[in-house]
Amino acid sequence: MSKTLQQKNTRYFLIWLPVVLLAATALFYVLMSAHAHHMEKEQLELKQENIWNTLLANREALASHITGEYDLLPGTAVPAGLLRTQRDTTIYYPASKEWMAFKLLTEQRKVRGQTYQLTTYVSSKEITHLIIKVFIAEVFVFILLLAAIVIINRKSSGLLWRPFYTSMKKINDYDITQNHSLSLTEQTGIREFDQLNQVITQLIGNVSLAYGNQKQFVENAAHELQTPLAIIRSKLELLINSPQLTEETANLLADITEANDRLSQMNRNLLLLTKIDNHQFPEQSSVNLSHTLEKLVAYYKDYYDGGPLDIQSSIQPHISLRVNVSLIEILLNNLINNAFIHNIPNGYIRVSLDSHALTIENTGHPIEGGTERLFERFKKGREQSTTTGLGLSLVQRICLIYHFPLQYTYLQNIHRITISFGPA
Amino acid sequence: MKLLIIEDELSLMASIVQYFTQEKFGCDTAVSFEEGIRKIEDYQYDCIILDINLPGGNGLQLLRYLRQNKNRDGVIILSARDSLDDRIAGLDIGADDYLTKPFHLSELSARVKALIRRKYAEGASTLEIGILKVDLPSRSVFSNGQPVPLSKIEYDLLLFLMTNRNRVVSRQAIAEHVHDGPAEQIPSTDFVYSHIKNLKRKLKEKGCHDIIQTVYGLGYKLSL
Repeated sequence: MSKTLQQKNTRYFLIWLPVVLLAATALFYVLMSAHAHHMEKEQLELKQENIWNTLLANREALASHITGEYDLLPGTAVPAGLLRTQRDTTIYYPASKEWMAFKLLTEQRKVRGQTYQLTTYVSSKEITHLIIKVFIAEVFVFILLLAAIVIINRKSSGLLWRPFYTSMKKINDYDITQNHSLSLTEQTGIREFDQLNQVITQLIGNVSLAYGNQKQFVENAAHELQTPLAIIRSKLELLINSPQLTEETANLLADITEANDRLSQMNRNLLLLTKIDNHQFPEQSSVNLSHTLEKLVAYYKDYYDGGPLDIQSSIQPHISLRVNVSLIEILLNNLINNAFIHNIPNGYIRVSLDSHALTIENTGHPIEGGTERLFERFKKGREQSTTTGLGLSLVQRICLIYHFPLQYTYLQNIHRITISFGPA
Repeated sequence: MKLLIIEDELSLMASIVQYFTQEKFGCDTAVSFEEGIRKIEDYQYDCIILDINLPGGNGLQLLRYLRQNKNRDGVIILSARDSLDDRIAGLDIGADDYLTKPFHLSELSARVKALIRRKYAEGASTLEIGILKVDLPSRSVFSNGQPVPLSKIEYDLLLFLMTNRNRVVSRQAIAEHVHDGPAEQIPSTDFVYSHIKNLKRKLKEKGCHDIIQTVYGLGYKLSL
């Protein structure tokens, strides 16, 4: 599953920032300990220097032992190996009844012919406490830093990406068949998005132009075909009325007439499709669907009289829609005619209309190939060489214009097309 | 009966002229806007067949000119554009009928005859062929004085064949003629056969035999 850019960004931050901060914390701890160690050493050495100086000046004035400060002893009791190195020790304080940690350093010098060993002490408790306190403060600062970075990043990327999402929504809402142009602002304040918007606007402009040309071409071609078709048709009519007609020529003429009729029909449907695409049916009025449908069903019943079909209809009265009369007639005509043409002997047709939907159900052969291609142009059923293959495509276009959800199901030789009227 | 055909497609014009000449119409022709205007001013016609796209001007302009000059000749518009706007505009300006290309000559002929009947022969509201008589206002058919009950489609079919008497009318022309929905949704022509069969049977029952003939696989002809 893909995540949003912001989520991805936050995730990277949440994975890598703590690692970096932990490393920084460790480094900080090491450096601080080293500094503390160094400081203790300097203090111990300073004490040594002070006491040796006092001893040189006046031996008697100096006590040989002060707890926690120093020990000054003649002789060489401390082994030479331990001299001049920092060591740890603890001293018991009876008053507070506790052992306290100290650092100590021993040096050996000769003063007026006498060898002395001087050990100085520095308490390491304060330093340890300081390190812990600084360390805790540092952890708090780091957590705060992490939160601040993540929050600022989320906020700023939300702001930064806003033009992108605005453009995306516009592109998403863009419908090439609607003839509108798409203009994305080129003043987002971010150069990359300005460029992106410019490129997209240009691209859509070109695509839209190509689409318009294509549509225009189909319309012009279909219009130009009408006159030659009319000429062929008129000549054929003169021919079939010719007194010299033989059966052989008649058969040929019958085939030519049929092919020409189909061509004319196809051309008309193609023109109609183009007109629907061009939104040339804008007028809308309240159309009594029940009435129109009743009339059509009666007409087709009458027309296909003698066909071995059972036609049932349940049409609720007084159902009206605000639509274009021509379009709704084309829609209903196509659906009903389709149900007749693609039926099987002894089959049935059921037409039902209520305030929510129109359902047309008919028996028929299963559709070859996927049902999703049913509404495509020139998609035909089998053995239907005499149809134009444009009927259901027209139905789909009209439903699209009025945002009527169109549903097709096929189950055990029964085709069902449902057109919902949406929230009426 | 005199017709003026204003059409710039010469081949189509020739077909129309040939068809109507065979129907004993007098045919006059014009191939451009100016020629059309000239003929209209000089002669009187029973019906004018007018193409919309003409060299030198639009057929609708010609129609407007005609009506402004109080000329009441019947006009049938032919158009390659089946746009509702053109149709409404045409009928608004005063056309009597509108046909979209490609049309059937039999349909054009039926429209011309119906127009002439409506416009000029106000009293003659019946059509008679032999023993068959059709009363147009009441849409009823009589054979030898006996009523023949017909469905709407059968009646339309019979009337269409009668107006095109002695002519072969194709199945597609019949299907388009009896269909009252949009021109794009002509139902399957296979069923014309069964309507013809029913019509013939009903006429035969009332003593009208073999008035409709099937011409090979091409279509049907009504003749005595």
